[in-house]
Amino acid sequence: MELLEPEILLQLLIGGLLAGALYALLACGLNLVFGVMRVINLAHAELMLMGAFGAYVLFTVFGLHPLVSLLLIVPAIFFVGYYLQRFLIERVVGRPMLTSLLATYGLSIILINLGLLLFSADFKSIPALQGSFLIDELAVSKPRVTAGLISLLLTVGVYLFLERTRLGKAIRAVSEHAQVAAICGIDVRRIRMLTFGMAAAMAGAAGVMLSVIYSFWPGSGVDFIQKCFAIIIIGGMGNFVGAFYGGILLGVVEAFVGGFASTQWAEAVAYLLLVTVLLIRPTGLKGVARA
Amino acid sequence: MKRRLSLSVLFSLVLAAMVFPPVTQAKDIVVGTSVALTGKYARTGQEQLQGFQMWVDEVNARGGLLGQKVKLVHYDDESKPETGAKLYEKLITDDKVDLLIGPYSSDVTMAASTVAEKHGMPMVSSGASASEIWERGYKNTFGLYTLAELYMDQILDLGKSKGLKKIALIYENTAFPRGVAAGVKDKAKKLGMQIVFEEEYGKASTDFSSMIIKIKARKPDMVIGGSYLPDSTAFMRQAKENRLYAKIFAFAVGPGLPDFGQNLGLDAEGVMGNTQWEPTLKLPGAKEFAEKYKAKYGHEPGYHAGGGYGAGYVLEAAVKKAGSTDPDKVRAALFALDTVNAFGRFKVDATGRQIGKPAYAVQWLAGERHIVLPVEAATAKVVYPFKDWGKR
Repeated sequence: MELLEPEILLQLLIGGLLAGALYALLACGLNLVFGVMRVINLAHAELMLMGAFGAYVLFTVFGLHPLVSLLLIVPAIFFVGYYLQRFLIERVVGRPMLTSLLATYGLSIILINLGLLLFSADFKSIPALQGSFLIDELAVSKPRVTAGLISLLLTVGVYLFLERTRLGKAIRAVSEHAQVAAICGIDVRRIRMLTFGMAAAMAGAAGVMLSVIYSFWPGSGVDFIQKCFAIIIIGGMGNFVGAFYGGILLGVVEAFVGGFASTQWAEAVAYLLLVTVLLIRPTGLKGVARA
Repeated sequence: MKRRLSLSVLFSLVLAAMVFPPVTQAKDIVVGTSVALTGKYARTGQEQLQGFQMWVDEVNARGGLLGQKVKLVHYDDESKPETGAKLYEKLITDDKVDLLIGPYSSDVTMAASTVAEKHGMPMVSSGASASEIWERGYKNTFGLYTLAELYMDQILDLGKSKGLKKIALIYENTAFPRGVAAGVKDKAKKLGMQIVFEEEYGKASTDFSSMIIKIKARKPDMVIGGSYLPDSTAFMRQAKENRLYAKIFAFAVGPGLPDFGQNLGLDAEGVMGNTQWEPTLKLPGAKEFAEKYKAKYGHEPGYHAGGGYGAGYVLEAAVKKAGSTDPDKVRAALFALDTVNAFGRFKVDATGRQIGKPAYAVQWLAGERHIVLPVEAATAKVVYPFKDWGKR
């Protein structure tokens, strides 16, 4: 069977890893927010699409290459997230889960309809960064390798920030126990704003990367958010590193299932994986059971 | 006292309104439809609606239909068959519309036509072409489009004439793309060509890389897609990323739309597809319609807009022939009708399936979409073979 040729296996693996890196970038942001404030942000994918449409507008109006607009969009969406936290999410932190779910769900509906109003329901994509690098016979997609590497860089960057810096330590402290962190003199409110801003910026960056790979419309978020949920449960709720592993795992498994079975099966894989992980290890790959 | 006065004024006003209903106009003729304004088929659904709306405006400017004004009631079916079925139920029972126009996509039409059939309401179906729709013994679904099964015939003939043998066939798992695929398989068999790869994909699929890697290993001469706009765009993009090469790339729907070129840029070059209609066809009023449409909506009409517009004229011809909007009379008129409008010829067989309209193949050449087959209608010569990615 031609599928078992090393060349094809390698091609599938590379495709999977690159897609996985993008999933990881998106899911890590979602998990960061959950870890720090126990809020599941249902509007996370819409923040991502904000990045995608930002890149689309900058490309069609000013002719800016998506990689250039990445530098503008990431800080812009950081501030969107920062103030969203200040004026909206802060009010639902610490409330029952349903309250925050409803608040972010409402936010996502508002954003989707705003998108429909501004951009209509047409599918968009940006004709930049097309084609592939040829390494001998191996074709490596330009947009995917760029997106994959940038995603990896950002995710690792945020990880190092969390691990190595004082501010990162403060974020982890709030994630561990907000009250104790506050007693130690950490400005918990500010940390939450910062965290949500960072998570939004990660989603925005993922959106810019997505805009050169897939076609998107304002309602595209739902496919991604569902996969993200699967990823963070697979990886462990609230665990940054777990979400990273979960993302990569899903990307690779999807690519191989797409190769060996069919693209249709590849779409169900996230949920099959989810059920399997829940059965075998209910806390997720890196999760710790919390009361 | 003052309060009592105002209350009694209000009361008498209400009473007056009940006794003397507003005498604005004679009863309007209400036409109902659902189209996809969101979801996968939004782009094309919207065009269809806009085309139809232009007919509504025109017919009212001409003094209406049977001396009555035409009013359009429409809803968004979100590209979902189940929503479409609900909406047609609502149009018929709740809104009590006089006439029906079909939704966009064969998928939603399958569901909507069942509702129309149940209520015995004839439905002029623009935007549906899977022959499955007309194989259920229904008497109320009247197609405008050339059948899905015939979409790729000319392109396959072209491939045959160039000595091509191996076909890779991919398609979405819904009615229309399956129809296209069935047609391709049939025709390939007749021409002695071989299907070396075949795979279905879901309506929400956006990533075809794994599929493309498999196709690449089979080295096909032709890649044919039973697709819509988003999937065909994504597929071509990823074909380039993975350096999938074939002598002919052909897709349903996508390449027939201006968006295909906008979203792919130069990578659209040489891709073939189908069209039900182009403004360049020599049809009465086609050019005028295209100009008016562009002036109104700011972009060239695709064939979906043409179909919506044509559906209006078919409906008008049928109602005039019937002399009323009575469903039985309109149905009889639609069966008997043989007419040509800006969209093309309309003539159906005993099942309501379109048999009067030919198919056309298009190709993207130098950033524009041209009819290349059949030669009589062509605006450019077909370019063969597809230029390899490395040589662009």
